[in-house]
Amino acid sequence: MRRSLTSAVLAFAIWLAWFAPTPGLAAAEHLQLFVTAPYLELHTGPGRGYPVRWVVGRGEAFDVLMRRTDWYKVRTERGEEGWAAGRDMALTRLADGSPFIANMGNRAGFTSHNWEAGVLAGSFGGASLITLNGAGSLTDNLKVELTLGQYLGNVSNGYIATLGLSHIIWPGWRLSPFLSMGTGINVIEPKVSLVQPVNRRDQLGYVGAGLRFYLTRRFFLRAEYRDNVVFTKSDFNEVDQEWKLGCAFFF
Amino acid sequence: METRLRLLFLACASVALGGCASLHWPWHHKAPPQPAAGTSTTEQTADATPPTVIEPEVERRQVKVPAIKAHNLELGAYYGEISIEDFGTSRLLGYRADYHVTEDIFFEGTYGQAKGGETSYELLNGNVQLLTEAERRFTYYDLSLGYNFLPGEVFIGKNLAMTSALYMIGGIGAVKFAGDQDFSVDFGAGYRVLPTDWLAIHLDMKDLVFRTNIFGVNQLKNNLQGFIGATVFF
Repeated sequence: MRRSLTSAVLAFAIWLAWFAPTPGLAAAEHLQLFVTAPYLELHTGPGRGYPVRWVVGRGEAFDVLMRRTDWYKVRTERGEEGWAAGRDMALTRLADGSPFIANMGNRAGFTSHNWEAGVLAGSFGGASLITLNGAGSLTDNLKVELTLGQYLGNVSNGYIATLGLSHIIWPGWRLSPFLSMGTGINVIEPKVSLVQPVNRRDQLGYVGAGLRFYLTRRFFLRAEYRDNVVFTKSDFNEVDQEWKLGCAFFF
Repeated sequence: METRLRLLFLACASVALGGCASLHWPWHHKAPPQPAAGTSTTEQTADATPPTVIEPEVERRQVKVPAIKAHNLELGAYYGEISIEDFGTSRLLGYRADYHVTEDIFFEGTYGQAKGGETSYELLNGNVQLLTEAERRFTYYDLSLGYNFLPGEVFIGKNLAMTSALYMIGGIGAVKFAGDQDFSVDFGAGYRVLPTDWLAIHLDMKDLVFRTNIFGVNQLKNNLQGFIGATVFF
């Protein structure tokens, strides 16, 4: 334990020294924007609860240093630093006069986005299931989806990894149904008390259907049912029903 | 005398007629006659010199807009204590990754490891060992959702202020202990302080609950854990 702790601390220290951002050293070129609203409020932290400390007047320029969620850290020409809300940044312009577009996540983003990820929980053949899924959009309707999951049951535990396609029938709808199909691998680890002593790895195929419901900003709920056919080496294939519910976000 | 009168009369008459000629009433105004299409226009353009178009010789400069870096990912480690039910309190070491989706909500993945001690039965019975050394290894992972419900600031002296947040967190995962792996649920609260924009210090209290039958009876086990850690924003 002590050795693992020491190695972990050392690894963390090295990693910290190597990868940690060093804002002071990075003489980065920052985006310059101009305020078009009567004023732009700068908060002390990246959240609506933090008090307003500085104000940038109409026509004044400021640099955008970084972004955290929907908040932007900015520096004024007087050297004052603070956090501006994304919705307020929409009232600023670039040096060429074009408006600054702050992507904050909305219904349009729910309809059309590049990536999404989520955590879902449910049941796989009667066992408790935990899954992590990510998807990339080919079009608004069609997504390539990767799912990694673990199921934990009384009889056996196991892992599943699947790759498939999801077709969102009406992506513009707030409650949007989808169909899915794909293939993957199922690794079963029987529990010690059972007869089968070794792990088993089989290919599986699935078809499924589900619903996506847009909540707010970048969030949506996701429910899915899948019918998995596990291609076993015995005479009969297994059919495992899977359902899961969880939340996901797009970016 | 007669000649003078004639001249005067002629002068008055010419002035009066000239005034009439220059007198126009509004209803006498007419639009100038439009040239017939394809006839006089062609003649005019043919007669006029072609307009000179000035071609700009300066190439339009491509302005490269600097990208804004988003630092929403937090990676780090933590160290603390975990009370493994029936197996005493042990040191806990873990790793965490947080992704902040909005100012309020974040996803978190953790992996922790500890080592279960001896039960009261083992302590009282001397050489009796219920689990092997390998089976005493306690590992878990969680996928959780957190909510920053009390954002605030910490003030140290009069010149130093650090942003902070008190958050609630809960999720699902799996615990591997005593030769078995079981589904688990975790929930708790934590406190995050950011000395700089890229570094965060965490203090967390969580309960890790799972159902197991280590002792032959299916029981729900509560495993309280408290830990402190540091993360770096990327």
